[in-house]
Amino acid sequence: MNISHPSEKEIQEFALDRDSCSPAIIAHIDNCMHCREEASTYQLLFSAIAQQPAPAFDFDVAALLLPQLETSRRRLSPDRIVAGFLVVFVCSCVAIPVYLFRKYLLYMFSDISTFFIYAILCSAAIIILFKAINMYKKYQRQMRFLNFN
Amino acid sequence: MNNPTGNNPADRHLVDRVLRGDTRAFGIIIKDTECLVAGIVFKLIPVVEERKDMAQDIYLKAFHNLAGFKFQSKLSTWIARIAYNSCLSWIEKKKLILPGNLQDEDAYSLSPDSVHPRYAVSSDSERQLFQKELSVILNKEINGLPPLYQTLITLYHQESMSYEELSQITGLPDGTVKSYLFRARKMLKENLLSKYKKEAL
Repeated sequence: MNISHPSEKEIQEFALDRDSCSPAIIAHIDNCMHCREEASTYQLLFSAIAQQPAPAFDFDVAALLLPQLETSRRRLSPDRIVAGFLVVFVCSCVAIPVYLFRKYLLYMFSDISTFFIYAILCSAAIIILFKAINMYKKYQRQMRFLNFN
Repeated sequence: MNNPTGNNPADRHLVDRVLRGDTRAFGIIIKDTECLVAGIVFKLIPVVEERKDMAQDIYLKAFHNLAGFKFQSKLSTWIARIAYNSCLSWIEKKKLILPGNLQDEDAYSLSPDSVHPRYAVSSDSERQLFQKELSVILNKEINGLPPLYQTLITLYHQESMSYEELSQITGLPDGTVKSYLFRARKMLKENLLSKYKKEAL
């Protein structure tokens, strides 16, 4: 018989799904009173959690929401109208100069200096770095909100 | 466990109906996912009055973005992800640090002393009382866990979601979800055993 006990994680796995465990672990737990008791505690816990009454809203979500969906479908919201105008404006700002100066666009980058290329690359790298730091900070903040500090 | 992929014909049929303008089909989606969404909202939003607005907000977002649903996961998983992210945004907006043991404290006011050490569960009424008290104790201890642990425990053990689905909902890697769930179960077991004797449970 294996002298060292399975880890807590392995005991949990055993309690969740005995068949997914290795034969050595199954044999150990079957023959070790301490581990069997641990596994049975987890099994008791899991079955008790599964039998807990599921949380439910104390109002009819569908009845509350469906009339709102009907009206929101019929009406074009002001936000969408503004967003639509902005998209058209930005596209026009890009498309019109590109169309008017299309002949000169090809020569735009031909005489560019090495210094300028490095400056563009460095700026891009700095922006990406800042974005990455921001994302990491946001992730950490969310985890802290959820009590993982 | 459920199949976590999005190749579900029923989901496709419902989504098609909603996109064709049949809002009653969205009512079916709401009914199908209500418990799941409630499970997430109840664990992450401690302010009872805010839960109604949150539920509406989640389903409105789902409705308006349904055309962008790519069937890369099950529809329920996608809606659960919207629910999870909406709750996180709410917490962030309110600058709220969620204490693990504040939620619905009054609802679970059973003290450890009130648990009888030996339950001679003979009659049906005694059995029902035992089940009810066990349920209250467990609920209290689950609500004492950190909110993410509560959410993971609820979704895995009550909603029978897989690690992969939990990973899709929370945006955390599979290994992290497994590790958090392991710690959550261990913490829950230790909290229960430290307060109540196993025989009492």
